[in-house]
Amino acid sequence: MSPSNIKTIFRKYKISRILWQIFMALVSLIMVTPFLWMFLSALKTQKEIKAFPPKLFPEIAQWSNFLETWASAPFDRYIFNSFFTASSIVILHIITTAMFAYAITQLNFKLRKPLFALIMATYMLPVAVTYVPSYIILARLGWLDSYQGIIFSNSVSVFAIFLARQSFLQVPEEMVDAARVDGAGHWHILWKIFFPLTKPIFITFGLINFVLMYNNYLWPLMIIRSREMYLITIGLRQFFIEQGAYGVNWPLIMAASTIVVTPLLLLFFIAQKWFIRGVGDTGIKG
Amino acid sequence: MNKKEVNIKTKFVEKLRNDNMVAFIFCLPALIPLIVFWIGPMIFAFYLSLTDWDFMSASYNIVGLRNYFSLLQSPAFYRTLRNTLYFTVGSVLPAVIGGLLLAIMLNRKIPGRNVHRTLIFSPWITPMVAMAIVWSWMFNPSRGLVNYLFTLINLPALPWASSSTWAMPVVIIVSVWRTLGWAMVFYLVALEDIPEDIYDAAEIDGVNFWSKLRYITIPLVSPTTLFLSVVLTVQALRAFDQIDIITQGGPAGATRTLLYEYYQTAFQQFNAGKAASIGIIILLIASVFAIIQFWLSKKYVHYQ
Repeated sequence: MSPSNIKTIFRKYKISRILWQIFMALVSLIMVTPFLWMFLSALKTQKEIKAFPPKLFPEIAQWSNFLETWASAPFDRYIFNSFFTASSIVILHIITTAMFAYAITQLNFKLRKPLFALIMATYMLPVAVTYVPSYIILARLGWLDSYQGIIFSNSVSVFAIFLARQSFLQVPEEMVDAARVDGAGHWHILWKIFFPLTKPIFITFGLINFVLMYNNYLWPLMIIRSREMYLITIGLRQFFIEQGAYGVNWPLIMAASTIVVTPLLLLFFIAQKWFIRGVGDTGIKG
Repeated sequence: MNKKEVNIKTKFVEKLRNDNMVAFIFCLPALIPLIVFWIGPMIFAFYLSLTDWDFMSASYNIVGLRNYFSLLQSPAFYRTLRNTLYFTVGSVLPAVIGGLLLAIMLNRKIPGRNVHRTLIFSPWITPMVAMAIVWSWMFNPSRGLVNYLFTLINLPALPWASSSTWAMPVVIIVSVWRTLGWAMVFYLVALEDIPEDIYDAAEIDGVNFWSKLRYITIPLVSPTTLFLSVVLTVQALRAFDQIDIITQGGPAGATRTLLYEYYQTAFQQFNAGKAASIGIIILLIASVFAIIQFWLSKKYVHYQ
């Protein structure tokens, strides 16, 4: 290659790099605009937020909007409910998933294959079909409007079983055999060998399912009635409706949304590699 | 048979029996909720769809297929079906195409790559309810950010969620905003698996960008495309939060999808039987997609 040739390639590359940076910056900006607009709007006064053309920044940041929002609805209770139920569900997911994945990968029993096929079939099916019947079952159990209703109706994750099975299959057989020779029982082998070796997959689905449960809206909306049982999503929607009753109080609504979204954004930025890896891993590979 | 053989055999049988017992115990914690809240309800839903139960009365009638007939005879139901199709195609296609294009853009070793990936993915982890509220403010017809930006570039301000023409696009934009980065991450994984030398060979042959895309990238990521299309379709069938917050199915039923009608029939009209039959129809549609996926993956998808 002649030097001038290299030069043109170099120049071309540099220009395409700059264009790339501009384009990607634009895309990223569009994607985070709702977050920025939410946060900036939460700091405005009623008058500022209704200005048109809108101003980007408030004259004076109204941090008191957050205090006022916090005081006008029991958000602490809502957040507690969401964190408590989502964490309990994730703990149950870990136990049910580990045991089930162990059974279908390590134990020899007749229904092994049909059982796995059944589980995978439910993965593709829309959960909507089950809402009305499940509601009736919860009502019969007397579990409507209760923690145990939210927790137990969500206590199995097919997605988690799918992931755990994949990684259990990769645990080297020699390790399992060695433990067996030492006289270890299944329970011991599961929690002392499989679980530590496949921990990353548990962290991944634990985080993803926690987020899904924190964000869950339709099913809790159906089974929760009383205010002290509201999850954060339902509490926020209720707040949205109430603040809209006498001319929409957008700054407070934006402050409430910020309160709801921030814990998740923080969790995501701290643990992002787990989320992104976990999502990518679930893709079907040839 | 000598003694030793018998001994081994009984031991083997014993082990098998033990495995059965252990397997049963190990499966139980997952199976109980699965049967009580998934498989049982699925079967129960079929039965319910043949009744006229209202959640409250002690008695109900078996009405056979009347719920299905009344749905299939009502024009409103066909409107709901059309809305569902509009929403599904409208939200799945841009997510798949946009996700692939963004993944191709980000599949280069350039500083800033990870930051962009993180930012583009971040909408997926945020609660739809909260962000739908924010979007409904941004799409506010008279004071929203979107209409302001539109007027800046000389586009007409639109009535958005308050018009039956523009309400669906709003719901779709919000949905795509949330799933785009998610689809992109799947494609990033798929692209990493394509061997570099295929592109190098094409480069030497002087193949341009579009031909590379058409003849190398798209065929090689086709398993991911198929997977995403099906999963996103199933997700579109269960979209609820953004519709409930932004439009509540309106205006004039313009954004009422199957799931939204299901919800309204069950929990606003308290018609458990009819709701169950809508649920079964959703189930049938999803099953058709699952079968199509299975069939396509055997026939057309290129696996490496």
